[in-house]
Amino acid sequence: MTPAVEFANVSRHFGPVKAVDGVDLTIVEGSFFAMLGPSGSGKTTCLRLISGFEKPTTGAIRIFGEDVSATPPHLRNVNTVFQDYALFPHMNVRDNVAYGLMVKGMGRARRHARAEEMLALVKLEGYGDRKPAQLSGGQRQRVALARALVNEPRVLLLDEPLGALDLKLREAMQDELKALQHKLGLTFVFVTHDQHEALSMADHLAVFNEGRIAQIGTPQDIYDRPATRFVADFVGSSNVLPPELTRALGGPAQWASLRPEATRLAQTGPVSGTVIALRYLGAGTRVVIRAGETEIAALVPAGQPVPPEGTTTAIAFDRNALHLMGTD
Amino acid sequence: MTVTAILPAKGLADRLTGTFWRRPGLLLLLLIAPPLLWLGVVYLGSLAALLLQSFYSIDEFSGVVKEEFTLKTYAELFRAQNLDIIIRTVVMAAAVTLACAILAFPIAYYAARYAKGPWKAAFYLGVMLPLWSSYLVKVYAWKLILAKEGVLTWAASGTGTGFLIDGILTIPGLEGSSLSTSPFGTFLVFVYIWLPYMILPMQAALERVPTSMLEASADLGATRGQTFRTVILPLALPGVIAGSIFTFSLTLGDYIIPQIVGNSSRFIGLAVYQLQGTAGNIPLAAAFAVVPIVIMLIYLTLAKRAGAFDAL
Repeated sequence: MTPAVEFANVSRHFGPVKAVDGVDLTIVEGSFFAMLGPSGSGKTTCLRLISGFEKPTTGAIRIFGEDVSATPPHLRNVNTVFQDYALFPHMNVRDNVAYGLMVKGMGRARRHARAEEMLALVKLEGYGDRKPAQLSGGQRQRVALARALVNEPRVLLLDEPLGALDLKLREAMQDELKALQHKLGLTFVFVTHDQHEALSMADHLAVFNEGRIAQIGTPQDIYDRPATRFVADFVGSSNVLPPELTRALGGPAQWASLRPEATRLAQTGPVSGTVIALRYLGAGTRVVIRAGETEIAALVPAGQPVPPEGTTTAIAFDRNALHLMGTD
Repeated sequence: MTVTAILPAKGLADRLTGTFWRRPGLLLLLLIAPPLLWLGVVYLGSLAALLLQSFYSIDEFSGVVKEEFTLKTYAELFRAQNLDIIIRTVVMAAAVTLACAILAFPIAYYAARYAKGPWKAAFYLGVMLPLWSSYLVKVYAWKLILAKEGVLTWAASGTGTGFLIDGILTIPGLEGSSLSTSPFGTFLVFVYIWLPYMILPMQAALERVPTSMLEASADLGATRGQTFRTVILPLALPGVIAGSIFTFSLTLGDYIIPQIVGNSSRFIGLAVYQLQGTAGNIPLAAAFAVVPIVIMLIYLTLAKRAGAFDAL
């Protein structure tokens, strides 16, 4: 099957800044693909390379097998939900949604009917006559979604679409987006800096760091088996253990990651340290222990005793929870 | 040392700030009262006086102003020679406004979207610099540029494009012995003089259009032309209207440029100047002065009805 989006050694340099640097990427059709990374890691530039707002300095981008190097944005069959929604303030919601059909020359009656269908899809029936300024943030986000879907794109690009919403609304929208993607069977490419969002929504994700892809895989791959220290640090709240500590814990002298929920507190053990911070999380308590130079977090489930700050404790862990990784 | 919840007020500034905090309307009132008085009494008052004068008439034999209400003076505006002046002025103002809008748009667009740092400074300097020199000096300079012996004719004959100028000068309504005595010369000078007043509001309006909105338009399949018509222009329209109010009303009221450059045919400003001066016909001068106000009101009403201010 032809991949929906393919990057072959793509770079985008802005003067001396290598925003995207030698990225190879394959996005399977029908997948919910997340690009995750801190700000400035190149994820948004990658999205803009797909939509055509950036041109690669080197390398090739293919959408459904077709090289789009010479294709301007308005001829690409992909649509974008912008981070600031970019709704046209002088048009009402219906005309905003119908815009893509209007510029293609569809008649008023037909395009308005289509716009109403799209508004129904995002549960905004009856909002057609309002101006964007009269909507809440969540409603604007839905209008932006409807507007991007009206052209029936083959790939939908979402640039941090939930970033401006409050937590509760964000969680609700995450579920809705996921359901919508299932229903439409479209390829969604989603840019986010929120690891929880990426892990919970995507079926595949790429973790970006300094213009390169640090790791690409399923959420389970990335969370359980981070390839690099950066991924372990950024994606999980994983503990990153230096080689000497890994060896003290019974492994080879390599960098390793250890998830807090696989880490337990014990009376005695090869590594012990001082409790320096406690954070109550409801379902448990996160205990941070300083062992030498390294801080190790352990998740103590609710109901179990939590050592007070300043006391010394040893740590233990499930042997197979220790994951070895590369050095960068 | 005891720590109190309330710090002592030291001096007048502390107490004043406190008073303003307790009565938020007070500061506002103090700030806007002087300009409001100026605007209300001096500005609108004189406008009302003008309006009043236009309803008086002049005794044709004695030349004395008769202070009784009549529409006779307004009826005089519709006499052929006066109507001519009004039509000539409005056509000129409309042409100047249109030309300014067309010339200003690319400049304003560049300044708003692409110019950064020193280029932006250079833009402001370039637009404002002509405003620093005397209006009269600029107009006379243009008279020399446009004159038969001027640099423009010289350059045209040197490059073999003299036929262009000659061609313009034979167009009915634009005749003249040189550009400096043709209504086309008047038009050129008007466009030059008022251009900055179009560029600046346009640039301010375009600067408020986020780049993502233009990208969204392209993303949804719009060509550059469609984006311009359906997104950029409607969003920049308040700025264009603001600029056109300047260029239109300034042209409507100007009486110096048509005196110096052109064929000395009269414009509203010139008519007002002559009527209140040598002719001593204050009521007709006032009636003439009301014409631009009425035209601007009609223009703004039409602009509002066309949705020009929807994006505000």
